[in-house]
Amino acid sequence: MPTPVVEIQHVSKYFAKVVANKDVSMHVDSGEVVALLGENGAGKSTIMKILYGLYTMDEGRILIRGEEAAIKSPAYAMERGIAMIQQHFSLVPTHTATENIILGSVKGHYSIKEYDKKIAKLAESYGFDIPVGRKVGELAVGVQQKIEILKALYINASILIMDEPTAVLTPQEAEVLMQFIRDFTAKGNSVIFITHKLREVMEVADRIVVMRNGVVAGTVLRAETNEHELAKMMIGQDIVPAERSVTLDYETAEKVLEFRHVVLRQKDAPPLIDDVSFAVHRGEIFGIAGVSGNGQDALCDAISGVRQATSGEIVYCGADISGYSIRERIAAGIGYVPVDRYRDGMVMDMTLAENMLLKSSFDKKWFSHGIVRQKALNAYTADKIAEHRVKATGPSDLAKSLSGGNQQKVVLAREVDLGKKLLVLNQPTRGLDMGAVDRIHKVILEEKESKKGVLLVSTELSEIFEICDRIAVMYKGKFMGVYKNGELTTAQIGLLMAGVSEAEEAAQ
Amino acid sequence: MVNLLTRAVMMSTPLFLGALAEVFAERTGMMVCAIEGVFLIGAWGGFIGAYITGSLFVGLLIAMACGMAMAAVYGVITVYMKQHQVVTGTALNILAAGICAFFQRVLFGIPTSPLQITTLPKIAIPLLSKIPFLGPIFFNQNILTYLAYVLIPISIFVLFKTSLGLTLRSTGENPEAVDVAGINVNRVRFLAVLFAGAVSGLAGSFYTVGYLGMFTTSIIGGRGWIAFAICFLGNWNPKGVVLGTLAFGLADAIAIYIQAVSGSTIFPNELIIALPYILTILLTIFRKNFNVPAKLGVPYAKES
Amino acid sequence: MKGRFNVLYFNIGAVVVGLIISASMLLFMQINPLSVGGEAIRKIFTDHYTTGEIFVKATPLIFTSLAFAFTYKANLYNIGAQGQFYAGSIAAIALSLWLGDVLPTVLVILVVLAGSAAAGAAVGGLIGLAKAKFHANEFLVSMMSTYVVKALMDYLLRTGLQETKAEYLQTDAISKNAYLPNIVSGTRIHLGFVLAIVTAVLIWVLLYKTPLGFRIRAVGYNHNAAELGGIRTGRIFTVAFLIAGGLAGMAGLTEINGVQHMLLQDFNASIGSFGIGIAILANGNPIGCIFASILFGFLNVMGTTMGRLPGLSIPASIIDLIEGIVMICVIMSYFLRGYVQSSMEKKRMKKAGA
Repeated sequence: MPTPVVEIQHVSKYFAKVVANKDVSMHVDSGEVVALLGENGAGKSTIMKILYGLYTMDEGRILIRGEEAAIKSPAYAMERGIAMIQQHFSLVPTHTATENIILGSVKGHYSIKEYDKKIAKLAESYGFDIPVGRKVGELAVGVQQKIEILKALYINASILIMDEPTAVLTPQEAEVLMQFIRDFTAKGNSVIFITHKLREVMEVADRIVVMRNGVVAGTVLRAETNEHELAKMMIGQDIVPAERSVTLDYETAEKVLEFRHVVLRQKDAPPLIDDVSFAVHRGEIFGIAGVSGNGQDALCDAISGVRQATSGEIVYCGADISGYSIRERIAAGIGYVPVDRYRDGMVMDMTLAENMLLKSSFDKKWFSHGIVRQKALNAYTADKIAEHRVKATGPSDLAKSLSGGNQQKVVLAREVDLGKKLLVLNQPTRGLDMGAVDRIHKVILEEKESKKGVLLVSTELSEIFEICDRIAVMYKGKFMGVYKNGELTTAQIGLLMAGVSEAEEAAQ
Repeated sequence: MVNLLTRAVMMSTPLFLGALAEVFAERTGMMVCAIEGVFLIGAWGGFIGAYITGSLFVGLLIAMACGMAMAAVYGVITVYMKQHQVVTGTALNILAAGICAFFQRVLFGIPTSPLQITTLPKIAIPLLSKIPFLGPIFFNQNILTYLAYVLIPISIFVLFKTSLGLTLRSTGENPEAVDVAGINVNRVRFLAVLFAGAVSGLAGSFYTVGYLGMFTTSIIGGRGWIAFAICFLGNWNPKGVVLGTLAFGLADAIAIYIQAVSGSTIFPNELIIALPYILTILLTIFRKNFNVPAKLGVPYAKES
Repeated sequence: MKGRFNVLYFNIGAVVVGLIISASMLLFMQINPLSVGGEAIRKIFTDHYTTGEIFVKATPLIFTSLAFAFTYKANLYNIGAQGQFYAGSIAAIALSLWLGDVLPTVLVILVVLAGSAAAGAAVGGLIGLAKAKFHANEFLVSMMSTYVVKALMDYLLRTGLQETKAEYLQTDAISKNAYLPNIVSGTRIHLGFVLAIVTAVLIWVLLYKTPLGFRIRAVGYNHNAAELGGIRTGRIFTVAFLIAGGLAGMAGLTEINGVQHMLLQDFNASIGSFGIGIAILANGNPIGCIFASILFGFLNVMGTTMGRLPGLSIPASIIDLIEGIVMICVIMSYFLRGYVQSSMEKKRMKKAGA
């Protein structure tokens, strides 16, 4: 048996409040694709960051090609051929692709033109199409990822660690990535692939290491397992998916939200929303699918009031709200769960009670004689914590002390109450563990039952297919079509997400 | 007229040096909020060095050393201990004033007449200083001004055409990218702060060693902060800093000219003194399009 | 509760260490720090007048620290408290000289209070507007504004407000009718101290119990989420600076009408900077500002008392030295505390895991 390229032995890592890894052992052989599978918070990213030198382990040892290695920094790891591509790219948005790739490897004076050529050649050799002279921040996410991969290839990495690489890709782009991984490992290199997506794992991994709560729950060969088994190992039990209720007759149902030829222009760039028209009815879950960055966020911003549409009308329960301020829209009963709860959804340094008050500081019901009615607010918050089964000690907990899933439950609790007629959700289950995802789906379905209109933006096709009644696909600011759930296959949606319209597809 | 423009270039020199120092530090994400104190301690160190040893050159070296020492304290607290930059700067500015005044007293007691040193001589560069009009203005200055001239192309080259510059700029925009590329972020930031301290110390010494020949505790009078503002207004680019510095120097010269000509009857003295500050406020309000280093002022901490 | 005491121990420890280091600077003057330090402390705690000076010095510091802390809660940097104080002082002296003999004391004080607060608020409000409307960097604008207001003050001291004797750059003294009454005989402690405490408490209530305070803190912690909550950040910036400016301006009343009774050049020149230090050491908490201001008042009096000890000629700059060193020590103690806490937590986790 040849020596494994990487061997991790009994590694543990403690943070100030949590045990991130406990007695983790695994190995990777050359030419092998190992999938590191687990829910969010299972400890997969942590152990890989230790391998890459971003974190130091508290216990255990790591061997690289049979030699013990004390990996103190990424520089040390890279010298031994290990490169990591993280979920949040480590790119400098204001610099070009070339500048990003050569950072740290070039010495002294350099000619940017010379390196532009070098990098372009390297990219070509792997079949990547990358504009080397443009600022990285202006490029699409899929292209940014390719630049990250090129960074690793440039330093001749032989062990590539990828953290949730397909999260930002269309199904077709994901396929291209899978092929790259197969080609890369065929040359004798190794890939460690962190993910929570069972299907991908079954497609490209040779061996699968399942992690749960910081420990290794099991290691299996792909040939000897299936998705169901893996799911069980990931969460430790069977789950029952939420039930979808009967769909309504949309022709007669009242329209809660209507977009009439809405356009949102930006300076010197194509419009973010390009003539979009659709309607969400009472009791309907309307899904918007698409790779993130195609205008979904702008669409949600236009509904919430963060951005004003350049032209067209946004009609809510019969009234044109295009000119309403954010505060007026909250008062009108629009609930909104934003995609980034750290930035937009919650104030992490405030208590749960204060977060529940966040959108209601203008509502007189929480204040008497100008002073906040703390007792009433605390009682309300405690109620919501119990109702949504949020794991927290009480209303005075700081938002940042909760886990991601529980934080999202709090945001959802608030928005469900504020959204009297319409609830808008932008990727509400992103980054959450299965239990939290399940709970959120149940709440969304309850809202539909109580005859509210629900607009759900999501990049997870499984989620879209599971709970939406109608589905629109968004690409570069336009709707590529609106379909009833059941009318489309995954492959068809994939093409629409990539901008291939039905007519083009038929012509192929 | 020529005299006044010559003076303008001379008085712009410390502002330029300080602003350039700040650009290098801020490009890595560190605001040197102690800049006023560094200027002061550089002014004092330069004076002490020159007075005690009789050598102006030694004075300048001591000024740089004092600047670096203060910057080192600032750097340890803000880069390694990750404490608040504004507070640490404020504390050091107060401390610098205390150190200078206290040790001035310790060393010299209360002198009967103010202590003096000869200031840096003006050196006329052969040929260039003979150019009509521009010659005497730009090429009949002291050595610090010539140093500033030399630093202009060097700083542009280093910042935009070398790997050091690429590293500095990347550190201020996304320190994680730099960390991941195998470079020690804290070390880059600390060294940038030390460099800024050395150059700012030198800038401060201009006022004692290069101009006044004496030391008073109010000699800097907020000009360290103007250099800080010029970095900002110059968009963190040496070229912008040159423009900004010249603008201030020119404003200063025009103000003094008006004062000399009208004898402070039209415009009160105090308005003239306030002019650079008013100018800074106006520019800060009306300048659009800042390219702030994305992580300016944010300590880099990874969970470990 | 235990956590709070922990913080207190670290802070007190830092102050003590800072004092020891500053006192040892006296060794450079061949002065025995222990005896001088001891002498100064003895004087402070036995002589009523000197003890009272602690609170006299603390009064304006409470206002300037509140002026920084209030905007700090909105994640804004108000470096201009010194200038806002000068604006308040100008209004205070002008109104006191004009109305000091005309109205009864109570009314004079009220008018001056309103006037000085308004003057400070005006300066602050301009800074806030610059930030709200033009996205100007308030750090720079507020910093520069101090120099501009100072120039204005110097101008007025030379022209319109100058004393009738026209000998020095200062104003006439205000009439006794316009004095803030003394509240502790044998000291210089005046009503202004009570005003400062009351103001700090009211600001605390404003920040933590009212909708406006909630909005200010929400904007300070996360302006994006606040915007989505319907809060207009631009308006909050302006209001925060208006109030902060007014707070600093009120120190004009206390210093002109309570202590100096006239306006001089370079009057209370460092209370702005000290206010910043105090506010951050108090972590922006208004009640904490009261205690931290009293601490700084104590440090200040230590410095002046040492300076007054006969025969030693300890310079006034010892005050800056003490304040600076103590601040650095407290800053370092923050780091130390964080480090100790997280290593203890890690050890606890390891034990629990095993």
